[in-house]
Amino acid sequence: MSAKHHTITALVQNEAGTINRLVSLFRRRGFSLASFNAGDCEDPGFSRLTFIVDGDDATISQCLKQLDKLIDVVECEDLPKESSVQRELALIRVEPTEDQRQSLYNIVNEFIARTPRSTPTCVVVEQVADVYDIERLIEALRPFNITEIVRTGVVAMKVEG
Amino acid sequence: MNRSGAKIVMEALVREGVDTIFGYPGGVVLPLYDEMLNWPQVRHVLVRHEQCAAHMADGYARATGKVGVCLATSGPGATNLVTGIATAIMDGIPMVAITGNVNSWAIGKDAFQETDIQGITIPITKHNYLVTDINELPQVLAEAFYLANSGRKGPVLVDIPKDVFTAMSEAPFPDTIVRRGYKPAGAPARAEIEVAARLISEAQRPVIIAGAGILHAQAMAELLYLAETTKIPVINSLLGLGSFPRDHELSLGMMGMHGEAAGTLAVQEADLVIGLGNRFDDRLTGNTGGFAPKAKILHFDLDPSEIGKTVNPVAWVLGDLKLSLGELNKLIQPSEHPAWMAQIRVWQTQFPLIVPEGRFPTRTVLKGLNDVTHGNAIVATDVGQHQMWTAQFYKMKKPMSWLSSGGLGTMGYGFPAAMGAKFARPDEEVWAVVGDGGFQMTLQELQTAVEYNCNVKICLINNGFLGMVRQWQELFYDNRHSHVAMGSPDFCKLADAYGVKFFRCSRLEDLEATLKGASDHVGPVLCEFVVEMEENVFPMVGPGATNSALVMDPDLIPSEEAHQLGAFETTHAGAVKS
Repeated sequence: MSAKHHTITALVQNEAGTINRLVSLFRRRGFSLASFNAGDCEDPGFSRLTFIVDGDDATISQCLKQLDKLIDVVECEDLPKESSVQRELALIRVEPTEDQRQSLYNIVNEFIARTPRSTPTCVVVEQVADVYDIERLIEALRPFNITEIVRTGVVAMKVEG
Repeated sequence: MNRSGAKIVMEALVREGVDTIFGYPGGVVLPLYDEMLNWPQVRHVLVRHEQCAAHMADGYARATGKVGVCLATSGPGATNLVTGIATAIMDGIPMVAITGNVNSWAIGKDAFQETDIQGITIPITKHNYLVTDINELPQVLAEAFYLANSGRKGPVLVDIPKDVFTAMSEAPFPDTIVRRGYKPAGAPARAEIEVAARLISEAQRPVIIAGAGILHAQAMAELLYLAETTKIPVINSLLGLGSFPRDHELSLGMMGMHGEAAGTLAVQEADLVIGLGNRFDDRLTGNTGGFAPKAKILHFDLDPSEIGKTVNPVAWVLGDLKLSLGELNKLIQPSEHPAWMAQIRVWQTQFPLIVPEGRFPTRTVLKGLNDVTHGNAIVATDVGQHQMWTAQFYKMKKPMSWLSSGGLGTMGYGFPAAMGAKFARPDEEVWAVVGDGGFQMTLQELQTAVEYNCNVKICLINNGFLGMVRQWQELFYDNRHSHVAMGSPDFCKLADAYGVKFFRCSRLEDLEATLKGASDHVGPVLCEFVVEMEENVFPMVGPGATNSALVMDPDLIPSEEAHQLGAFETTHAGAVKS
């Protein structure tokens, strides 16, 4: 079984050290963590986390069991793409030449991205999309002199609860 | 009632039925140590190094099944607990470690004796807490004891800043503990039990590997019933020893890297391996690619993460082991496996454990210890050759009487663990079997033993080497000894300095009298056995090898049938030297 990206979400009870404990688990057991995101959720005192993990099925199964074993973790699961919404927010700062400005905005429009801030020298492009579309946008922006990329990591939600 | 954090800690101990704690005072735990004087019902044992407080708490827990409690101050006090906590998590030992920390407003400022013990112990605790709000302290302490001794047991650390010890709160202790993320295993699924029963009924060459989970679940009676009804032989993991009577005709002793040959070979030839509360660790399985190659594996455990972690079972039963085996036992039918048992008897006859005669090897001492105590003593070991020989030759008659650091392999564990057991069960005879290497890591606790008249017998195996390391250097590094020769102080003078009764024995003729003398003496005893320097533990599965490549004792002359057997790659020690 070859390694591939899996999207794991976890509902956790938030205490001092909880995020540290979760991320530490990936390091100490050698699970390959591509990204993670944590934030408040519908329950006060609890957080929902999304991990992008690379691994074969056995590794992912073991990763889920180890996560579930943590006292903080209320539930966790591997979300299939087809039954979930998976989104990431990216901010991409580009510094186009004067001549490039119009074609930059054409690309932004084509990708249905936004430009929340711009100055005479730089434009910040914002995109919320799945990972594939964000990476396509980044490639399309390369000719415009990308000077910084910030990505949130994927957040994911099941379509049906 | 409004009371201080220090008082809440003492209340928690009493509520949890803790009669003894092991600790060492320091700056930030002064409020707790002051409060402790008002609570004579909780005995505090003052150790000489915090690592030993953790090991004593561990020994107390292994000997009783109750939570062991250790206590240390911030900074170095807390970090000194780390080895003991790591020892406990690997073997699933219920422990609550309480540490003080600097005042909560000073945390993060690199204050004197500040350390992030919560961060440090995240990977080696079942759970841990930093309590910065006094009102949470009763809840946290109650949770800590509950978590430590339920489900898969383990150490829980509670870090308490100094100002929380002195703050006041009326917060009550909770009546029940509910955590949404914590669901300790309960009854097994019916469907899983039915599959297990069918696999057992179909097996021609079944074996049981019984691990420490049997002891944690107190499922010894259920295991005995299962084995006797189905006539399935029982092999123990190192830590499972004591869960099945060693003198039972179905007992094959211990298996693994230095397990008994018949058991290890039986697993390699079995068609069904039933793992009961064991975790198929690498010292048991050898190279997993060649582990039990002809067998289906059926795994019973309470921890889902153990299923499929190192080997791939065809079926499993998740749940509390006592409940799982209880349900299984309702479905099983009496059976016999005469041809299979006959084969196992052949291996037992061909490849017994042997004690050379006319010499004074360590094996002689440990067999002697077994003979003198009749297997009725609680025995704790350190780690290395003596540990393996004790596992081979000490036939403990009772459960909860075998204390050994199986997972972490902590040298220095044996003596303080034995003391913890003795504090917990003062009426039992308790021996610590240690080597000259490991004993020198924690021997400062001789003073603790003297002060509390902790009547532990130390069986010190002195071969002048870190024996197991030397064995590996002999077998795998062309016998190039690199820093394994171990000098020791004059142990007679050492014992005298501490005021401990001392015996020295270097000949077979004196063995029995020495052991009996030590056994009969009231008070701590240091018994030094000056044994052969270069003796190797066999059988042995080399590192990375499969269990079929079992290396037999060169002193064991195989019978003609052994040559004819030909089923295994079983070799003699000379083969691995080349």
